[in-house]
Amino acid sequence: MLSKIIVSPAPHISENLTTRRLMADVIIGLAPAVIAAGIFFRYRALAVIGVCVLSCLVSEWVCNRLRHKPNSLGDLSAVVTGLILALSLPPAVPYSIAVIGSVFAIVIVKMLFGGLGSNVFNPAMAARVFLTASFGVAMTTWKVPATVDPTMPEIKPSNVEAVTQATPLAWSKMALKGQAKAEEVNRQIREAFWGNVGGCIGETSAAALLLGGLYLLVRRTITFHIPLAVLLSTGIFALVGWLLKPQVFARPDFHLVSGGLMLGAFFIATDPVTTPLSVRGKWLFGAGVGLLVMLIRVVGEYPEGVMFSVLIMNSLTPLIDRLCHSVPAGGKPNV
Amino acid sequence: MSKLRFFWEQSWLLLVSSLIFGVLLAMADAALAPRIKRNETEKFTRLAGGMLPEAVRFEPVEPKIAVTASNGKTVEVEVYRGLDEQGRTAGWAFACEGGGFSDKIKLVVGVDGRFEKLAGFGVLSSNETPGFGDKITIPGGFFQKQFVGAPADKLTLVKAGRPEQIDAEIVAITGATVTSQAVVDILNTYVLAIRSALKEQGLLN
Amino acid sequence: MAENQTSVGKSFLAGLWDENPVLRLILGMCPTLAVTTSLQAALTMGASVIFVLICSNLVVSAMRNLLKPHLRILMFTLTIAAFVTIADLFLKAYQPEMSAKLGPYIPLIIVNCIIICRAEACASKNGLLVSLADALGMGLGFTGALTVLAVIRELLATGQIVFTFSRSFTLIRLPDVPLFRMAGMAMPVGAFLTLGLMLGLVKLLTTKRA
Repeated sequence: MLSKIIVSPAPHISENLTTRRLMADVIIGLAPAVIAAGIFFRYRALAVIGVCVLSCLVSEWVCNRLRHKPNSLGDLSAVVTGLILALSLPPAVPYSIAVIGSVFAIVIVKMLFGGLGSNVFNPAMAARVFLTASFGVAMTTWKVPATVDPTMPEIKPSNVEAVTQATPLAWSKMALKGQAKAEEVNRQIREAFWGNVGGCIGETSAAALLLGGLYLLVRRTITFHIPLAVLLSTGIFALVGWLLKPQVFARPDFHLVSGGLMLGAFFIATDPVTTPLSVRGKWLFGAGVGLLVMLIRVVGEYPEGVMFSVLIMNSLTPLIDRLCHSVPAGGKPNV
Repeated sequence: MSKLRFFWEQSWLLLVSSLIFGVLLAMADAALAPRIKRNETEKFTRLAGGMLPEAVRFEPVEPKIAVTASNGKTVEVEVYRGLDEQGRTAGWAFACEGGGFSDKIKLVVGVDGRFEKLAGFGVLSSNETPGFGDKITIPGGFFQKQFVGAPADKLTLVKAGRPEQIDAEIVAITGATVTSQAVVDILNTYVLAIRSALKEQGLLN
Repeated sequence: MAENQTSVGKSFLAGLWDENPVLRLILGMCPTLAVTTSLQAALTMGASVIFVLICSNLVVSAMRNLLKPHLRILMFTLTIAAFVTIADLFLKAYQPEMSAKLGPYIPLIIVNCIIICRAEACASKNGLLVSLADALGMGLGFTGALTVLAVIRELLATGQIVFTFSRSFTLIRLPDVPLFRMAGMAMPVGAFLTLGLMLGLVKLLTTKRA
């Protein structure tokens, strides 16, 4: 009973793939890490996550109102930004710092560049760098997980400037400087895999992140190229170091399960907006992230380098895209 | 001849004004140089005098002491002997420098009369990261306090420890390990070299 | 050379807003970004620039009819360098703290494009009075923009505004909350952020009015 025949240009076959669905999948993928955070760092971690998500949503709403743009809360991307930012913060971080980070991520890094799809840098990571630069002490004060010692009070030494709780990566840094033995570092691999160590809210448990990452792969929300490239190149560079000097460098599997690598590989370096489009470009991007992570962890002064690596590679994305121009069928590349 | 004339026609303004500006600068320099010199010595004596309160005046030690810095260069250091009211040695002070995180760090270091304990250090100039490395410049801050009374011997930097305990272990500023290490390195280089040089000169026993 | 009939008042006002060197012409970015970590540093820089700008504009304007076109840039640089050196010596003598803090940025006024731009665009074409008004307007416009930037950055980074002569004087002191202790604002990133937001705001204000 068609009264009208509709004429429309291609494409005619559409998939039910919306930003909202993609982002919902990422949120589901992050759920295991959130649960692990709740187990290891109790209500404090969940409160930080809540604060970040809420302030991201509010900032996005305010920005849209000011710019007279339609409300974009429904695409859930602000929720994902808030989640990833929260998961990469230390559990003892003051709430006000979490709010500053969320506002920075949404307003400065995302909305000022034109909103979702136009931002050059990953909002959560750029915000984390700003927080690290601004609040060095608060951003490097770690708490021991509640599962290790539930009676452990919050770390409040008389002189916070001097005392930090060592994370596995801090141990690795000490081993590199000859202040600890690499064996002591390697002994932490098991605990670091399950997450029973000091560290950021959502980065401690490699297992939970791996589970969420596999879910995303199965759902085809992300392709395997970038995570695999990141993990492979990190592993290879770590292996080179370990083979050369096993008494100084930690084992490659230590580097894979510690710090923010899993979160970075599956959830941050796969952000579709700020990463290359072509398959070759994705391999390049991932390999670059892995190389930079190992360079910063081994040579640099910071113990962890995932956020810097992702941001540096973000800035190279336009160049990688140009380098890996795809050739249209039957034609020459349109450079 | 015509070339010379052409040259003069084209550039007389430049030559004349160079001369005028040169005279102007020479006059400004002559008028201000003594004050600039005084500012520098005042800052040094203020910092050194703050560390060695008993010293009422500072006398330079002759000859200057050559110190081989960590980059292999030899620098001549002017060491000052601080004298108390009775003319006894109340302490020693000298300016020294070394590479920091972002730029050179220039320090004034004070040592007690027998060259056994540090009287502390003050920062003449530094350009370290605000909020992190620039904590070395806070007079009486936790970092500077660790040096007051510390042995005038080899110091080591540790990442975690008890800063209130005064010993050869210096606790680094969180987030500014490079800067903290730079200060410790400067002190290690200069204090040890100057101590042995003063002993050679017979000024210390 | 025919005198441009630019009015004195107009050329003074131009530098303050319509042709503000920092906010509209985007000139002199190096000192704008580098010295705005504290209000005192920004004001010292602004005063030095005003001094150099007035002197160089007056000298260039006075000798404008004698200039050989192909040697004029040389003359400008020579004039500017002479006055910058005087300003630098003066600060070293009477403001040693500020001079140490500003470090190379005072000598770098020599290559500040505002000054050579005014010598080329205004002083070499106009009489003494117009050049003086132009120097004052541009200098004050520059100082004003620097002041706003510095106040924002110093307050957000340290929560206070401090003036240091031989002793320190705290003008404003804000509560000790993280929002007013963002060390990042004192770093270069803070300079770029604040300047970028300011330029955006100015653009917004001017496009709305037009």
